[in-house]
Amino acid sequence: MNDLCADIGFKSVNHVGEQLCGDHVDIVPSGDDSSVIVLADGLGSGVKASILSTLTSKIISTMMAAGLSIEECVSTIAETLPICSVRGIAYSTFTIMNLRDNATAELIQYDNPLAILLRDGKNYEYQTTEMTIGGKKILKSVIPLKEDDIFVMMSDGCPHAGIGQAYNFGWKREHIIEFMETFASVGYTAKNLASLLVDECYSLYGGEPKDDATSCVVRLRKREPMSILFGPPSNPDDCNRMMSLFFSKSGKHIVCGGTTSSIAAKYLGKTVKPTLFFDDSGLPPIAEIEGVDLVTEGVITINKVIEYARDYLSENNSYARWSMNRDGASLISRMLFEEATDINFYVGRAVNPAHQNPDLPINFNIKMNLARELSESLVKMGKRVKVSYF
Amino acid sequence: MKITVCIGSSCHLKGARQVVEQLQWLINKNSLKDKVELGGAFCMGKCQQGVCVTVDGEIHSVSPESVTSFFESEIEPKA
Repeated sequence: MNDLCADIGFKSVNHVGEQLCGDHVDIVPSGDDSSVIVLADGLGSGVKASILSTLTSKIISTMMAAGLSIEECVSTIAETLPICSVRGIAYSTFTIMNLRDNATAELIQYDNPLAILLRDGKNYEYQTTEMTIGGKKILKSVIPLKEDDIFVMMSDGCPHAGIGQAYNFGWKREHIIEFMETFASVGYTAKNLASLLVDECYSLYGGEPKDDATSCVVRLRKREPMSILFGPPSNPDDCNRMMSLFFSKSGKHIVCGGTTSSIAAKYLGKTVKPTLFFDDSGLPPIAEIEGVDLVTEGVITINKVIEYARDYLSENNSYARWSMNRDGASLISRMLFEEATDINFYVGRAVNPAHQNPDLPINFNIKMNLARELSESLVKMGKRVKVSYF
Repeated sequence: MKITVCIGSSCHLKGARQVVEQLQWLINKNSLKDKVELGGAFCMGKCQQGVCVTVDGEIHSVSPESVTSFFESEIEPKA
């Protein structure tokens, strides 16, 4: 057992004109600190490739997570995959990463570009052993993990980006390593690292990818607890109890809401100092309380955070905005999406009488929905979230 | 003289930003920067009357449209 956790994220772009991606990533957790990640690239593109890669990744991840050997997985796939009528073969390349207790990673690679490992921000050449299963040449490595290790797995659509366009022979593995090394120590999330790589491939293809390109990044990092407070308690007598629980937690503290921040300030014996700094985000300014890492307005800001979370979990197009800006929602997004791994979410259920006005889009139900949606999104990002209602 | 503008959720939706920016502009234009301190505050509990602005503790209801007349009657003569 160690205090590391795996941050896993991936992104794909499809072959130009295709609605389905021929690459597929599957992540199956097996226990608290172990998971199996499979990136499969089906032969060709479109529907057929999508079926091949989905079957491959689903079968392997499920079997591996259940503890079956790689030999059994490979033979099952060989016997299950439908044979392509055009090419007469059943084929899907794959990269498997079997994370055990967040302490060792077993990499099993078949015909995909060799996964990249960045250790201390630099490329690290790990050992591989070759084995043959059912006539397939498979590379296997067992790597003891260190904090801040970054694994970059990809489909061949990545190194092939720009063939005959930006580059004569595509973007080689060493170029991708160089590209990724620049971002290694910035602290970007796995999802954002994968997006950076795939977005770069997309532009090297001139916006018209000749192959599906997928990258899956696994980043080993220290656990980072964080607590967020949203709304005053429904019973005013619970203020002190709520505050003492909130402030007793280790890690950074975020307070959202006007009334909420004045309760927090009172508990700490400090004052709320709102700033009057407006930017182009259209969000209310943030404030400061000594002893609190971030103080923002409530409903409008959280609503924006959820918008960013939705995008982050799907297309991931707005990370450039929230990873740079200084408004409340961007700051919260950076802290929750990038920094935190374990989040204590304190939700107060007080009804603000001033908000129960049909003209205002911020009534009680909306507030509760926001709290629920935010915690659900954070769980989908792979965070451990504990919600307490007051 | 201390002026605070509410920048809580409700007042924000009612145009707190425009009120703050117009006040900043009017204060600069009338060279009152040394005499008037402009600050922000979270919810003052009078959301129905927003945008809430206090002048030395006395609460007023201001809208983006009424900022100029508010400035002329409540701030300029007293500063």
